Amino acid sequence: MSGNTGSYISSCVFVLIAHIGMLLNVFFNGNYDSLNQVIILSGAVVILDVAYFIAMLFFRQTTFTVDFLLILVLNMSVIFQSCFGEVVFDYKHYITCIISLVTCRCGYLLCRNHKWLREQRKFFYIGIFILMVVILTLTGSRGMWISLGPITIQPSEFIKPLFILACATSITEQQKKHKILCFNVVYENIALFGLTAAICLLQWWCRDLGSLPTFVAIYAAGFLLRICYPKAKFSKKKLVGAGAVLAAVAVAGMKFAPAYVQDRLHVDIWADKDGNGYQQSQALIAIANGGWFGKGPGQGDLHNVFAHKNDIVFASISEEWGLLYALMMVLAILIIIALPLINPPRSYFHGTMSAGISAAFTVQMALNIFGSCNLIPFTGVTIPFISTGGSSLMISGFMAGMLVACQSPTMRSPHLNEQIPKRQLYPRRRKA
Amino acid sequence: MKSIKRCQKIISLFIVMFIIGMVILVIKIQREASFYMINSDTLSLGKVYDKNGDVLFDGTGEIDSPAGYLIDVGNLIGDDKGQMGNTLVANNLKKLNNYSFSTGLKESGGKAAIYTTLDHKANRAVYDAFAGNDGCAVAYNYETGAILVCTSLPSLDVTQGYDDIDNFPSGTLLSKTMRKTVPGSTQKVSTLIAALEIMGPNKLFSKRFDCTGSYHNKGGNDIDCHQSYGHGTLDIQGAVENSCNPFFAQLIEDEDMPLNKIKDVYSDLGYALNGADEDYIDINGIKCETASTTLMDPYEFRTQWGCIGQGDTLVSPVQLMMWESAVANENGKMTMPYLIDHITDVNGKEKEKAKTQTSQRLFASDTASTVKEILLTNGQNHYAYSIPGYNIGVKSGTAQVLEGEQENSLLTGFVDDPDLPIAFCVLLENKNSTWITTDSIVKVMLDSLSNDNGNE
Repeated sequence: MSGNTGSYISSCVFVLIAHIGMLLNVFFNGNYDSLNQVIILSGAVVILDVAYFIAMLFFRQTTFTVDFLLILVLNMSVIFQSCFGEVVFDYKHYITCIISLVTCRCGYLLCRNHKWLREQRKFFYIGIFILMVVILTLTGSRGMWISLGPITIQPSEFIKPLFILACATSITEQQKKHKILCFNVVYENIALFGLTAAICLLQWWCRDLGSLPTFVAIYAAGFLLRICYPKAKFSKKKLVGAGAVLAAVAVAGMKFAPAYVQDRLHVDIWADKDGNGYQQSQALIAIANGGWFGKGPGQGDLHNVFAHKNDIVFASISEEWGLLYALMMVLAILIIIALPLINPPRSYFHGTMSAGISAAFTVQMALNIFGSCNLIPFTGVTIPFISTGGSSLMISGFMAGMLVACQSPTMRSPHLNEQIPKRQLYPRRRKA
Repeated sequence: MKSIKRCQKIISLFIVMFIIGMVILVIKIQREASFYMINSDTLSLGKVYDKNGDVLFDGTGEIDSPAGYLIDVGNLIGDDKGQMGNTLVANNLKKLNNYSFSTGLKESGGKAAIYTTLDHKANRAVYDAFAGNDGCAVAYNYETGAILVCTSLPSLDVTQGYDDIDNFPSGTLLSKTMRKTVPGSTQKVSTLIAALEIMGPNKLFSKRFDCTGSYHNKGGNDIDCHQSYGHGTLDIQGAVENSCNPFFAQLIEDEDMPLNKIKDVYSDLGYALNGADEDYIDINGIKCETASTTLMDPYEFRTQWGCIGQGDTLVSPVQLMMWESAVANENGKMTMPYLIDHITDVNGKEKEKAKTQTSQRLFASDTASTVKEILLTNGQNHYAYSIPGYNIGVKSGTAQVLEGEQENSLLTGFVDDPDLPIAFCVLLENKNSTWITTDSIVKVMLDSLSNDNGNE
């Protein structure tokens, strides 16, 4: 760290300035009865910022980019969530954000050793299987939630990182081909395909169709990287074939979707704005009402609409903070997702993991934002790090930690206090 | 590194697709935000003005006008209360709303407004000229398309609210100028156009038919004339001037007037024939019904009766007026009417200035010139006394409605004057119950418009 003190401090200052700027907006333009709420919110945000900056120093990391972006986005979401309708500190969301930061650390610590991860491969399958059994037995009649007193858990969220790890660890198995009849097959691929199909059927069964595209995207990212491994180029035939199969499945899925899904696929939200189109129409009205610069924190009306803190949170933010701010928030999350493009993953395994995480995050954001704004059918998924929901935030944090573990070191080694030579990071391969 | 780049390509693919989606979303929101706002419960509507700056509607509700002041435009301009759907305000809330995506909704101080082409003073004068009788009147500048007068009775003053809505007379909440009605003999202008298009002026003027008060047609039915002792032998000019039914019945049966060609001309004029799907004429969002009739068999009573302007034939006063513009302009093209001259946005910036538009050619210019001549002659011979001081071409009509129990009077025409290029149509309902005539209403209308023209 010693050699990067300047950049570390400037990143801290940047995050603090961003949050203080937002808090000043709340103070001057916010809708609040008691100034105490603003003070509590401000104190909580700044304390969490500073505490995290200090805590990070105890982790021997060689890159902190994701961490800074994560604390930036999470505290932004704390401010957003505390302002909907009226400025009241949302302590519940604040606590889940802290948990998210903790799970980020856990994700990093558990996933930084890829050799150990590969050895645990079978446990990912077992973990997914157990979670599926839990969903089937404990979520009630075709539901997706388990109630544990004051809290509810969505087990399908926990499947996501395990599934990403299962896809990533299968990479090395691609060399182990077995002859069955006249086909060369990889057992791992068959297992993964079966697992994906089982997850999709389960999602269908418990009517959590919002998560279904996320799992399909993770599988697709892993599948594409698997079928091309270890060749140097994508196999065009395989790509076209995979695309055709995916399109056929999507078309069939839409055609044979249950009635409530068909309603959402074909609803005219403006003709049915008091029925099936209520949330979307209200969300679009709220965005229009907010314009570019918003009505002001706490000045919105969308807080009267169900799921304004999660399923239609993009519109809630747009209404109070403006579309410009909501886009900046999306940009911040996109930068987290795009980090593997700037700082390349350490290996093909890490690359596959990064691709799975990116797929999950982008598809979730797309489903939430485009769905709530009537570009695509509306599904009840969350925006990572922004929407409320303990399970979602925990897992999003964990996956962000996985992303940190995938990164190549960019700072000087904390141990050696010297720059790691580039050749050591990316050893040259001999040409065959 | 190649394999790592492959991973990056996959990540890039997801990100690029997402960004494309976001771009589409932002463009969509930018373009449709005003529409979203119209569907919200919070509107901040501006004002509607007439051509001289008189307020016809005030979205702030602060209008300070005496009760009944806006009654002449009530069912045309309307309001945002949802009681009337086919009005200027109801169909242009987006333009009238003090909202833009950049500024948001301005609760006060917004400058969104609609500046109409209406002449409120003239409109009011025409409304008063009806003397409480039901009917409607519409007039526009046939060179530009600007609607100057458009009133319909009974009407309401929207500033007085709808508390007494249950006692409103039938037809209060709609502008009859946009609704189809039996056109009476004004329909003969269409049949005249068809005859000229099919056989040309020379042949048509050479035709002579006898009128003895009633004509027993080839289908075995009688077509009665309004003059029971008949008009004698007539040519087309005489038939138009006398509005002779037997002449036109014989003209339809004439071998030089094949039905399929009549149908073609009628279709070009915009009639929906024999139950075909009907279209609408859009006047700044207000839907105006288009004409319809039945043309099945030239010897059949219904077809002949329809070409004379009774029975199944229905035409809106606005469309009758528009056909007059095609005649008055002598080009066979209708000048498309408009009510909105321009609008101003929330910041007061002038937008959407109206432009003159014409329809496709409905009939030949020569036909238009000939019809114009016939109608002008009719005007000079029969209306110079009741509507003095104007060189007008007109055609009157008497429409039998309610199974013949009631007769409506219509007068449609134009002023052949470059300083007062007005086409009009007036409908007076139940004409036998009043001393008012369509001529007197047209006279008031033209006087008001010419005065206003002179004052400008």
